[in-house]
Amino acid sequence: MTGRARARSRGRGRGQEPAAPGAQPSVQQEAAKPVMPTPPEVQLVGRGRQKPAPGAMSEEAMLQISAGFQQVKIGERGGRRRDFHDSGVHTRQLMEHVKESKTGVSGTAIELRANFMRLLSRPLWALYQYHVDYKPPMESRRLRSALLFQHEETLGKAHTFDGAILFLPNKLHNTVCFQILKVLIISVALSEALERGLDLVVSDNLLYLQETVLCSETRNGEKVEITVTLTNELPPSSPVCLQFYNILFRRILRILNMQQIGRHYYNPDDPFNIPQHRLTIWPGFVTTILQYESSIMLCTDVSHKVLRSETVLDFMYSLRQQCGDQRFPEACTKELVGLIILTKYNNKTYRIDDIAWDHTPNNTFKKGDTEISFKNYFKTQYGLDITDGNQVLLVSHVKRLGPSGRPPPGPAMLVPEFCYLTGLTDKMRADFNIMKDLASHTRLSPEQRESRINRLISNINRNADVQNELTTWGLSFENRLLSMNGRVLPSERIIQGGRAYEYSPWTADWTKEMRGLPLISCMSLDNWLMFYTRRNADVAQSLLQTLNKVSGPMGIHMQRAIMIEYEDRQESLLRALQQNVARETQMVVVILPTNRKDKYDCVKKYLCVDCPTPSQCVVSRTISKPQALMTVATKIALQMNCKMGGELWSVEIPLRQLMIVGIDCYHDTATGKRSIGALVASLNQGMSRWFSKCVLQNRGQEIIDALKGSLQAALKAYLKYNNSLPSRIIVYRDGVGDGMLRSVVDYEVPQIMQSIKTMGQDYEPKLSVVVVKKRISSRFFARIDGKIANPPPGTVIDTEVTRPEWYDFFIVSQAVRFGCVAPTHYNVVFDSSGLKPDHMQRLTYKLCHMYYNWQGIVRVPAPCQYAHKLAFLVGQSIHKEPNMNLDDFLYYL
Amino acid sequence: MTTPFSPPLYMQRYQFVIDYVKTYRPKKVIDFGCAECCLLKKLKFHRNGIQLLVGVDINSVVLLKRMHTLAPLISDYLQPSDGPLTIELYQGSVTEREPCTRGFDLVTCVELIEHLELVEVASFSEVVFGYMSPGAVIVSTPNAEFNPLLPGLRGFRNYDHKFEWTRAEFESWAHKVCRDYGYSVHFTGVGEAVGHWREVGFCTQIAVFQRNFHDSMSNAERLEPSVYRLMYKVVYPSLSDNNIYQRTLVNEVLYEAQHLRQEWLSRMDSSNNAHFCAPPLMHLFQHGAEGGTPDWQPVYQQGGTICVPLACVWSSPRVRVLCGSVQRLREELLEDERVRMSADGTVLNLPAADAEEAEEKEEVEEEEDVKAVSVVANSVEEDWDRELGCYGNI
Repeated sequence: MTGRARARSRGRGRGQEPAAPGAQPSVQQEAAKPVMPTPPEVQLVGRGRQKPAPGAMSEEAMLQISAGFQQVKIGERGGRRRDFHDSGVHTRQLMEHVKESKTGVSGTAIELRANFMRLLSRPLWALYQYHVDYKPPMESRRLRSALLFQHEETLGKAHTFDGAILFLPNKLHNTVCFQILKVLIISVALSEALERGLDLVVSDNLLYLQETVLCSETRNGEKVEITVTLTNELPPSSPVCLQFYNILFRRILRILNMQQIGRHYYNPDDPFNIPQHRLTIWPGFVTTILQYESSIMLCTDVSHKVLRSETVLDFMYSLRQQCGDQRFPEACTKELVGLIILTKYNNKTYRIDDIAWDHTPNNTFKKGDTEISFKNYFKTQYGLDITDGNQVLLVSHVKRLGPSGRPPPGPAMLVPEFCYLTGLTDKMRADFNIMKDLASHTRLSPEQRESRINRLISNINRNADVQNELTTWGLSFENRLLSMNGRVLPSERIIQGGRAYEYSPWTADWTKEMRGLPLISCMSLDNWLMFYTRRNADVAQSLLQTLNKVSGPMGIHMQRAIMIEYEDRQESLLRALQQNVARETQMVVVILPTNRKDKYDCVKKYLCVDCPTPSQCVVSRTISKPQALMTVATKIALQMNCKMGGELWSVEIPLRQLMIVGIDCYHDTATGKRSIGALVASLNQGMSRWFSKCVLQNRGQEIIDALKGSLQAALKAYLKYNNSLPSRIIVYRDGVGDGMLRSVVDYEVPQIMQSIKTMGQDYEPKLSVVVVKKRISSRFFARIDGKIANPPPGTVIDTEVTRPEWYDFFIVSQAVRFGCVAPTHYNVVFDSSGLKPDHMQRLTYKLCHMYYNWQGIVRVPAPCQYAHKLAFLVGQSIHKEPNMNLDDFLYYL
Repeated sequence: MTTPFSPPLYMQRYQFVIDYVKTYRPKKVIDFGCAECCLLKKLKFHRNGIQLLVGVDINSVVLLKRMHTLAPLISDYLQPSDGPLTIELYQGSVTEREPCTRGFDLVTCVELIEHLELVEVASFSEVVFGYMSPGAVIVSTPNAEFNPLLPGLRGFRNYDHKFEWTRAEFESWAHKVCRDYGYSVHFTGVGEAVGHWREVGFCTQIAVFQRNFHDSMSNAERLEPSVYRLMYKVVYPSLSDNNIYQRTLVNEVLYEAQHLRQEWLSRMDSSNNAHFCAPPLMHLFQHGAEGGTPDWQPVYQQGGTICVPLACVWSSPRVRVLCGSVQRLREELLEDERVRMSADGTVLNLPAADAEEAEEKEEVEEEEDVKAVSVVANSVEEDWDRELGCYGNI
């Protein structure tokens, strides 16, 4: 089952929100709508100058900035935008023991390079924030902007303006001044100034207001007085500045002729193709500029975008040909819904939510006051002809708010002929050949990856327009990647029974080392079944023999299985299971003829829900090669042992009465859009026994609400096994998306504490909550034997590229043979354990050794990997909560 | 100012230009006073064979702000157009002589001249008609006679207007231009009043000038700008670019060939299951490689390769559209390294078997070698609880 087991449960099109689609494809309307000016309170927030303080900012300043940040956003075009970088979540300041230092000490130092570049600004650089007022008031943002920039000679070339707030890299010098003649005038001026939130300077009997008055004229000859008032002087690290840098960098990428798709930028001039499937892949970059531990840096990683030079209409044609008219509607809905498409006439992406079977391009929609057919609209608006007048339309529910916070404008109707498919379908993902072709282009060696990033850096530094843009703002980028130090943790000793051994630190794998050694604990197989089809009778026999051969040295006592033949049909397989699996059956092995999902699902559904029994599916092809059979059978024997409650190996855990909890979720995008949460908790000191629970989330419910009960059940199970409750609980929370950190901190952590509380009023264990993130764009390169290579497993990075406001670190735990290793990011958002950062890091690394389905180190702590596996199984195959009799077993491996 | 027109008047003006382009199909078009590049953006969609689209405006800020809206869309890369298109934006004045603006087929001045001082209009005429002498010129300007019908309007329609002409004034200017520079003109407009008001004419009056003589400039080489300042230039991906053409064609051919191969394999598979296997060479001899009707050649297998005759691929309409003849197709493919062809260029060779999944490649089982395994003994045992000094109070 390796193929499926390895399949990743990626949510399709995640992180790619449809970009600002209008209800109907009318660009004109959208652009013309006025944007409400920012409420006047804004100018008062965060007033008072924040002096650029290098390094740590005072808490007060930090609060002030974040308060201001929530209201002031550059470039906000009327929509809600998620904060993908989770900035403004300050968790470290609440943890006394890491306030001073959050770095560990273990291990040997290693020199690394990271995909980060420092952003340099001249000394005393600041961004000046102005409020712009119009008299008489002007509604239209465009007009406001046009009027203001009639004064470019005063304002300068570099500016960013959103309709109310203006940012300049310089201070404006024309200031209004009143001569102080009488006390009366001063008080009037003062009160006016205070009321309007102005900065004022009194010197030499003169009162200066930091405001500039400009006069413009509209096209109709109306005179407009524009007052530009300095409201804030933003230090380089203020959130608004960070947002500004990101906008600036997007401009730079555009100057470099990169195309924006979703949130990232891609290079259209250097594509590669997989013609067989009409795939076009654009190389590009993911970039973020943020305040990292010691400086503001640009983090940039290589990314690829899969586009398809095939329209939805092409796709529909070939689908209809394949499956016939009858099954077409069903197949079409199944294949298309959930896909992200790109429209031909603008660069917008939409998610297909539905298909309007009763709509064709001849249907009309309301544009302004008149009804116009889709056909005519596209002809007149874009000169596009619709060749197939009978194609049905696609529906996309636009979630994004309309301009100025109005409710979403309703579903958008799209013409298949003008929609290109993007991304890969699940079918393609399952196709080994496509994935191989893709990987050959997208899987870059550390050397290749570094050189791509370096090429971007040199492009930035060579391009005159880019340099021009940067210098007008007084900014520049350091022209090389960040050099820094990491530490390589010592490799762990694997304990198996009374013996211990070490593994090769570079391969991070102990398949060979554990050969011939007895396992920690073995479940004997006395009553078990093996199902096979007639065609696979031979392989079933040889599997049985080999299993018998390999299980001896491990210490597993194996009786002969009862062999049951089934007909190669789903119903007969199910019937065979129903008739033969009994209460006392310990294990069911099913040999499947193909890796078709339906039979697998059927087996798992029946044996996980209706008739709780550990089961093991094997695709006949994996055991058809005699030379590989020993290896495969060994893996199967290990897996079967785990599923029945056996234990394989362990590592030294130098903390007692500890319970580790792993949480992950799976987002079932295809069916019902239900999320599934899984919780896995350790039951013993050696981290070799686990309690697992999986819940289906109800609509509108947070995943943690459903998991609260699971945590209590886990604690009860721990009590039963150990006769005491754990004194420490460490929760590893995986599956937190970009921008969801705040809800984990503000909502999930209190929920976890509450659920612990229910075990007893005076029960107060020490709690740590660690957010685990696999999908990050940080990359690290080591130099080994003069070559750029991946850092070795066990490399910890806890300086420079971490975030100052968090207690966070990176661990490179696994070893990869091809491509670049991806570090995992750990963010300790709550910690009352008092554990030193070094302990936290090492414990985390130790736990990466404990995943029993892989005789090596994995990317995340074992409980997270288990939780992932469980949620994936339930989300992909079972779709129901598994039977609670299985809770104490790793039945989902 | 609200205008009672629907669609709005500015849209009607643009539509007028688009309709003109559709009828007369100019190759090189220049838009003076392009400002926010709205007309250019429309023309980019309604291309009708335009190869060079130039916008000129005196205000560089507005150009810089809007120029990126003229960049190619993602779909322009996914499906390159047949004809080339280059878009250029310049900062410059219509009263300056710029060599690189000569030799155009169409010049549009939509609501431009009324922003010039009257004295400048003469030099405008001289530059546009005398110096640039394009094939055709479209000039639109407000009709002053219509103004009384516009509600609430006093004075000119825009504060920046230096004049607004009546029909007679406009026509007399136009006729003078025709006399001086050898053009003929006809007048029309957009935005009609209703009822008896009709006689005031169009809200926007338009003059369409046609050059009366043949111009030798149209094929002249493009010059670098010497007076104007180039603000933006973008070359659209198109099949006239040889690299793009080659890539598109090869992709299409490989797509087709792979599908034929797949089809053949699945057919073979089903017949194999029925315990019937035709010797592959039979196919070869039956239909012969040397031809007959070119469309009637099957796919066949020869050893480890599946052979797809070029004629099969040629039958795909997409390939035909891209490539005029089989001959050309063969030549193009022989040049490309991504395509494996037989020496005579009649057959495409594709591998018969898909690559096996790599993960099956486990190392060969070694003899049981018992590793020297150390027993846990002298390794230092850690105790973090004690280290933290909290061991006692659990």
